[in-house]
Order: sequence, then structure tokens, then C-alpha cells
Amino acid sequence: MAAVQGDATDEMLMVRYQRGERKAFVELVRRHNRSIYNFVLRQLRVPSVAEDVTQDVFMRLVQNAADFKHEARFLTWLYTIARNLCIDQLRKLSHRRHASLDQPQGDQSDAQLLGDTISDPNPQASAERGALSAEVRSSIVKAVDSLPDDQREVFLLREVANLPFRDIAEITGVGENTVKSRMRYALDRLKEALSDFEEYARALR
Amino acid sequence: MDCEKFDRIVLDLLYDELDELTTAAAKRHMEHCARCKAIGSGLRATREVGALPLVEPPDGLELRILQAEEQAAQLLPIGKRLGRGLSLLASYAMRPQVSMAALLMLMIGSSLFFLRAQPGDREHVLVTERGVPESDNDSVTIIPKKPDAPEPARVATHPAPTARVEDGAARRDRATESKSEAAPAAAPAPVAAERYAAAPRSEATRGGAALGASDDDKDLEGSGRASTDSDASYDAAMAAYRDGRYSEAQRHFDEIASLGGPHAANAALYGAQALRRVSGCPTAAPRFEEVHSRYPGSVGSDAAWQAADCYRSLGELARARANYEQLSADPSYKTRAKEAIAELDQRVADQELAARKAATAAAAPAASAAAKGKAPAASAPAKPAASK
Repeated sequence: MAAVQGDATDEMLMVRYQRGERKAFVELVRRHNRSIYNFVLRQLRVPSVAEDVTQDVFMRLVQNAADFKHEARFLTWLYTIARNLCIDQLRKLSHRRHASLDQPQGDQSDAQLLGDTISDPNPQASAERGALSAEVRSSIVKAVDSLPDDQREVFLLREVANLPFRDIAEITGVGENTVKSRMRYALDRLKEALSDFEEYARALR
Repeated sequence: MDCEKFDRIVLDLLYDELDELTTAAAKRHMEHCARCKAIGSGLRATREVGALPLVEPPDGLELRILQAEEQAAQLLPIGKRLGRGLSLLASYAMRPQVSMAALLMLMIGSSLFFLRAQPGDREHVLVTERGVPESDNDSVTIIPKKPDAPEPARVATHPAPTARVEDGAARRDRATESKSEAAPAAAPAPVAAERYAAAPRSEATRGGAALGASDDDKDLEGSGRASTDSDASYDAAMAAYRDGRYSEAQRHFDEIASLGGPHAANAALYGAQALRRVSGCPTAAPRFEEVHSRYPGSVGSDAAWQAADCYRSLGELARARANYEQLSADPSYKTRAKEAIAELDQRVADQELAARKAATAAAAPAASAAAKGKAPAASAPAKPAASK
């Protein structure tokens, strides 16, 4: 069954879950909870809040499972939910403009910082990413955080969720050319942030 | 490809969202255009180096999500559960097999609707020779008994129940044949047989049964018999008539006719018919006339025909002729009435001729006798003279 579910598309799993097959939901969570968590974390920048919002995203999926149409694209639907929850949460927390990487995160006992979290080497990360210096990673995070909301949103949906521009346009409710334009600005900003690093110069060659 | 177009597609190129041809064209353009090559290389390097490092979600997040899902599924409101059930049903209903099955059932159902049995208890619709369906009440078959025949005239043959419509020519031929074979007094019998063959079952069956119907006739009688009380009384009267208990039959028919109802006209006619069997034509003829005047239509015409028959048997040819002339206006009796009138005229002519002959025969002896009486008187004086 697991093998079958591993080959199944997200849409097929969602239809199975609509029919009451709970294993399909487990598989969907296993596939997407990491990318959803990262998308939410980059938007909200508070790990504890991101964790709760990630859980809320999947709970919304459970509550609205009957509304899912089998011809719709699952990831588009899932990230639309995540985006809406992030917007709601940002309004509540008012952290959008004021969060700092050095700010203690909520009431966590270990007071883990977002900068530390990102700087923490990830054993499952790709070798390419592992090869980057902590300084470069910090610069990337800072550059992304400094992006305007609309550009950062498009950048995260493209880089973290790996969604095509057409789906991003559907999620954000703007035209595909607008999405590409925002993405181009985001990449240019990132390029400026990375232009002083040796890794970038090597990549250019 | 030019630089302007390259700028539009450079992101698609970066994320591999271009088709092969456009990708090849973009790469060829980059080989010749330093500007576009720098843009493409810069974006590619940015994406490679600036790939956002992903963070692993906290331990236990997945477990928390699954536990929350389990609780949420238990607390799911009834509307959501129904929605889930409907979604499940819809997913099955949208399958092509289900659609085809539904379409097939719809076709079968509509076919059954259009092919259903027609309402009513008639198995066959009988029509007159003019093609108009006959009603149950306005047609009756009367098969008069031959005055000299002890048994009722039988219907020799008649068509099968499903093929009862005869054309007019065939009817006329049969009537002519019957007429040539039967005595003038019995002429209505074959005519009635034809009418019986063409009459609706409910009436014709009774008429046929009254005349000693065959097995086929009995089948028709059984199928056409009604279940009401009036039908039972009528059937009892017919049974008495059929058995030759004409007095009893007459009494029953008279009661039915006096009570009215759907059988009143036929009962009146059969009552007169029974009376004719009991008391003969002198008593029955006025009764036939009464039925004729009371019940217009085919029953009245039948009664007029019977009355004319009685008059003819009684020798009242003028009254018989008057009835036949009246019947000649009825399309169903027109031919027969004219034939009967011709017969009557012939009969009257024969009677007149016979009367003249008889008168001539009676006048000749008288003349001779008179002549004989005069001769002796004339000769007698002569004799004395001669003797003188």
C-alpha cells in the first residue's frame, strides 16, 4: 500500500482521503509538511508560530477536504490555504516589518533564534547547499527577508514550494507576467547580496 | 530570437519551463549576445548559490498534525461528513459506467411508459363498416326467428374476432346469397347474422347467444359479459331466451327495459322478440313499433324491421311497405329495405294478378249462367209457337 501511495499523485491521494482513506492523508503530510513549514517560517519568521500555522494548514485541509475537486491541483490548493493563514497571522502578530533574526522566539525555553536555526547545518540538505558557508546562508536569508512582501511571496513559492509560475499566479491572484516580474526583482536583489562572495564568482564561471 | 524576447523568457529558461525548441533558440541567442548571456549566467549563478536553505520541521510536528487530524475527523460536523459522503458518491456517479447504466435505465423506462397497456378492459376495438368505432349501447344485433322454424336461426359463419370488418361489397354479396336461399319471411336472418358479425362484442355476443351461438360465439359472450348487476339480469334474461323460456325471458326483458340503464334498449327489443315467440305477430307488431318509436338508432331500426316482418307475415303489406320505406333512409338497412320493397311490390302485383284471374274466373260462369237463363225464356214461347 505504501508503495502504491508513493507512486500516487497528490490529487489521487486527496481523492482517497475524501473517501475516508486516512493513510492517504498521512502520505500527504509526509510529503509536504517540510515545504509548508519552510514557506510559513520564511513568511512569519517565528518558528513556534510557523509550527502552529503549519498544523493549521493541514487542519484546514481536513475540514475542507470535501470541497477539493479532483481536477484541481493539490499543491495550488494547499499553498493557497497556507498563504491565507500567513496573511492572517501576520496581521495578528504585526511582525512583518519588525521581526529580527536576533529576537528571542516567543516563550520557547531554548530561545532558539531564526538565524541560529538557519545557520544550523542540515544533515539532510544537499551537498551543494552544505558546501555554502554559514555567512553566505545568512546573507541569503537576510536578502530574502528584506524582499518586499509580494516579491518574497513569489520567491518562496517558486524556490521552496517549487511551483510553476502559472500556479503561483493562481495562488497570488495576479497575472503570470507580474509573477515573473516580481521573481526577477527578487533574484536581482539576491544577486546583489551575493555578488561579493567567492561562491557566486565561482558559479559565474 | 532577439533580446526583447529573451528578456520575456529568461525566467522560464532558468526554471526549465520552456519547450525544447524555444530553449534551443534561447541558448543559441546567448551564444551570440553578450548582454543576454550575462543576464542568463547571472540569474543561474544566483539561483545556484542563493538557494534558500530549508529547515527541517520540529520533531513531533508530523505526529501532532496526525493527532489533530484524528480528533478533527471525530469532531467533524455532520454537514462536512455529509459533504464527504456526497463527494464519495459523486466520484462514483461521475464514472462512465454509471452514466451508461443510468442512460440504459432511462431508455428502458421510457420504452415501458410508451408501450404500456391502454387503459380499459377492451381487448379489441371493433369498428363498423364505415370505420367508426361502435359504442356499446347504440348497436344491437337482432336475428329474427323464421316464423316456420322451431329453432332460432344460427349464425352460419362469421369472421374471426380480430378480423370483423367486412367491406360493403362482401356484405351485399352475402345478403344476396342468403336472400336467394331463404324464404322472404326469413330474409332478416342472414342480415342479422352479418350485423352480429360486425357488432360490438358486448351486444353481438348476446344476440348470437340468443340464437344458439357456436363455441366461438360463446367465447365472445364470455369475454364481453359485464360484471354489474344489470348485466347479470340481462344475462339471465338472455339465458331464458336462449333456452326457449320466452315468457320468462319476456318478463325479465320488460323489467330491465322499464328500469332503464345501458341494456334498456336491447331488453325492450328482445322483450318484443320474446313476445312474438309467445303470442305471435298480432301482439308483437305494436310492441316492435313502440320500441321503434322509443329508441332511435340501430335498435329502433331493428325494431322497425321486425315490425315490418310481422306485418308482412300478417299480410298487412301496406304497413310493411311503410316501414321498409322508412328503413331505406337508414344506411345500414337501405339495400335490404329496397329489396324488401321490391319483393313486396312483386308480391302485391302477384296478388293483384291472382285476384284479377280469380275475378275473371268467377265472372265467366256467371255470364254463361245468365246466357243459359235467357235462352230458355226466349225459346219457350217459341216452343208453344212451334208447337202451335
